[in-house]
Amino acid sequence: MGNRFVERGLSAPVNVTWEVSYACNLSCTHCLSDSGPKRQGELSTAECFQAIDQLAAAKVFQLNIGGGEPFLRPDFLDLMDYAHQKGVVTCISTNGTLIDDDTARRLAKEMVYIQVSLDGATAASNDAIRGKGSFEKVISALDCLRKQHIEVSVNTVLTRKSYPELDDLVVLAAAYGAKLRVSRFRPAGRGKDAWNELNITGEQMIAFSDWLGRHLAVSTGDSFFSLSSEDRRSLGLNMCGACKLTCCLSPQGDIFPCAFLQEPEFRAGKLPEDRFTEIWSHSPVFASFRQLEIKSCESCHRFDMCHGGCPAIAYHMKNRLGVPDPECLVNCVTVRPQRVGVN
Amino acid sequence: MDSSQVYVLNSGVQVRRENFGLLFYNYHGLRLYFVPIGDLIDSDFFDGIQTVGSLVEVLHSRKNQPKQWIRARIEQILQLITEKGLIHGESIC
Repeated sequence: MGNRFVERGLSAPVNVTWEVSYACNLSCTHCLSDSGPKRQGELSTAECFQAIDQLAAAKVFQLNIGGGEPFLRPDFLDLMDYAHQKGVVTCISTNGTLIDDDTARRLAKEMVYIQVSLDGATAASNDAIRGKGSFEKVISALDCLRKQHIEVSVNTVLTRKSYPELDDLVVLAAAYGAKLRVSRFRPAGRGKDAWNELNITGEQMIAFSDWLGRHLAVSTGDSFFSLSSEDRRSLGLNMCGACKLTCCLSPQGDIFPCAFLQEPEFRAGKLPEDRFTEIWSHSPVFASFRQLEIKSCESCHRFDMCHGGCPAIAYHMKNRLGVPDPECLVNCVTVRPQRVGVN
Repeated sequence: MDSSQVYVLNSGVQVRRENFGLLFYNYHGLRLYFVPIGDLIDSDFFDGIQTVGSLVEVLHSRKNQPKQWIRARIEQILQLITEKGLIHGESIC
């Protein structure tokens, strides 16, 4: 990763996380966006097209689509088609419950990646977090997607409950021609309430870092950049990409540094009424985020690998930016790794 | 390298101009490539309209540097990007 080029400032993000709706048909206990019913003020179809126009004009390469559940939007596939027409690649995160053969057929084209969420390798463990019957529907969705040869990842949020099943999840994903992707649990949305119950222990975190180093085919979307071992160093980021490589577009059109910092104080602008390139280049919020330095970490031997870690975790746990990631491997966890249950 | 050739992006590859040079994105593997070449080549060069020879002429008149030096530099850059699997040369005759 060309850190020195990124630090100089890019003309636009490489990718934008776009949460297309708060509406969701599941009520996952750890949902970062507290999704449920559709909310007032979500972008209309016409406004979404205008937002896509702006992002494409800025030469954003990729939209990481999430929500809520994107497929609950009746216009969702039209929006994706429009993004593809504009040359923008889409990576769709879905709970998988609404994907059938017809939907999979329509998705079967270049420029689409799908991430289907599973938080356990069995119906019992997954459904405890994601809701009854969701496991079975996801397996059906994976089958439909596999038939269409669509590139798919199974996405698992790392929690105390999913951690012991990671090896099984790798096998399950592979059975459907998919890769496993593991995301970091963050104390945002309903995740705040579930944090103490679900967040992994220090021992698990160290063991997980070690596990990642031995499972290079497992992707993380770089949400674990701060935990990465030397073995994964070449695979992705070694710093937070918010406002440098990425940002977030909310269902209501608000632009934030990342999906985990959708607090009013981090609102940088609004699409489609504001100009995206103006927000990206001149927003005071983004400018201040880019200057964020975790001074207390600079003398650490791992600084070059994490640059202080995830500011969103620090913000949600310490209520301020500019402090080290509270889950830093060096300063917060001093126990030896345990490999029980994870090989 | 044939001066009459043009270069186009491979399937799934996009490029944009940045202040350091060119930023390539490859859909296959979702990877980024930073090519620090300043303003030597613009992203629209890969639309496949301008030939290598024409680019060398433009740069020669703009930068007032020896054509031979410019040609060598351009060929080196295009070869590097080609080896990364991001572009390929085509004849337009």
